[in-house]
Amino acid sequence: MHRIGVALVWLWRATFGALFPTTCKYHPSCSQYAIDAVRQKGLVRGSVLAGWRLLRCNPWSHGGFDPVR
Amino acid sequence: MMHSLILGSPLTPLEHAARHALNWLHFNLGLPWAWSIVALTVIVRMLLVPLTVRQIHSMQSLQAHAPQMKEIQKKYKGDKQKQNEELMKFYRENQINPAASCLPMLAQLPVFIALYYSLRHFSSEPPAKHPGSLSFLHFIPSIADHTTTHWGGYVLLVVYVASQMASTLYMSATVDKTQRILFMVMPLVFVFVIARFPAGLVLYWVTTNLWTVGQGLITRRLMPKPAAPTAEKRSSRTPPRDPGSGDDGGGNGAVPESPQPKPAAPRSQQPPRKVRRKKKAGRR
Repeated sequence: MHRIGVALVWLWRATFGALFPTTCKYHPSCSQYAIDAVRQKGLVRGSVLAGWRLLRCNPWSHGGFDPVR
Repeated sequence: MMHSLILGSPLTPLEHAARHALNWLHFNLGLPWAWSIVALTVIVRMLLVPLTVRQIHSMQSLQAHAPQMKEIQKKYKGDKQKQNEELMKFYRENQINPAASCLPMLAQLPVFIALYYSLRHFSSEPPAKHPGSLSFLHFIPSIADHTTTHWGGYVLLVVYVASQMASTLYMSATVDKTQRILFMVMPLVFVFVIARFPAGLVLYWVTTNLWTVGQGLITRRLMPKPAAPTAEKRSSRTPPRDPGSGDDGGGNGAVPESPQPKPAAPRSQQPPRKVRRKKKAGRR
């Protein structure tokens, strides 16, 4: 099941993600975080975590080292 | 079409919004369709300006921290993963971050898709009574057609590549050489994909890139010149830490007020690297 999520992230990376320089202020980057999250927590919880991370990756946050826990 | 079924339905309201905005710009302001796209792009980018102001501040403080960052990069030269981790920690501790963030980038995607769909409708049922009104600056006959259907489209593609490269130069805060080169090459690959898009979409992309470049130029003007390098640099290279405080992995140890200022020797280029690197490598 989680393969779907991972495939979607790769699809993003291959299309629009590649149009922008890496802009993420976190490490691992948002897309890598999404892959890790889906692998570790499953599709549903992983997607929620990834969504929350995307929301945190905004101009008012400070970024930093933030792996999936 | 399959993908229009998947993407189209949730994005239909957005497409309508884009269409309405374009209509308004065209009929109420009297702009030609092509210029309506340009105007819409500019409006979107203007809405995003408050977001970039934050980034500009961040980049300003980044200049002050550049020596320490170089230090980290050298220290973890062999290990990209670790280097990134440490840099991120350093950013966090100092409350700076040169990168833009993913959210504003993602915010552009719906605009892009909405424009894509409205332009596709343009080509199937052109809103114009007379055929010339979809043209742009007399060299692109129709912004709803594929870019490669006319020589003007190729000109636009060249401008796209140039603008994408330029905007990459201004946007990417990364200091990493290979990454920078990769981003410079990217548009050359992408030009083949983008050639399949309606010309109006390329116009959007060119406009947004040029906006980025303009913003970058203004930002550079506003940014103070980086502090005179020699003094800063040397102090950042003093062995920074007392042995106990290792856990934060090396970023902030290099703050200028480090405990042992180096005796004056003005050799700014070649510090005794080897010894120090070994010591630090041992610690991690």
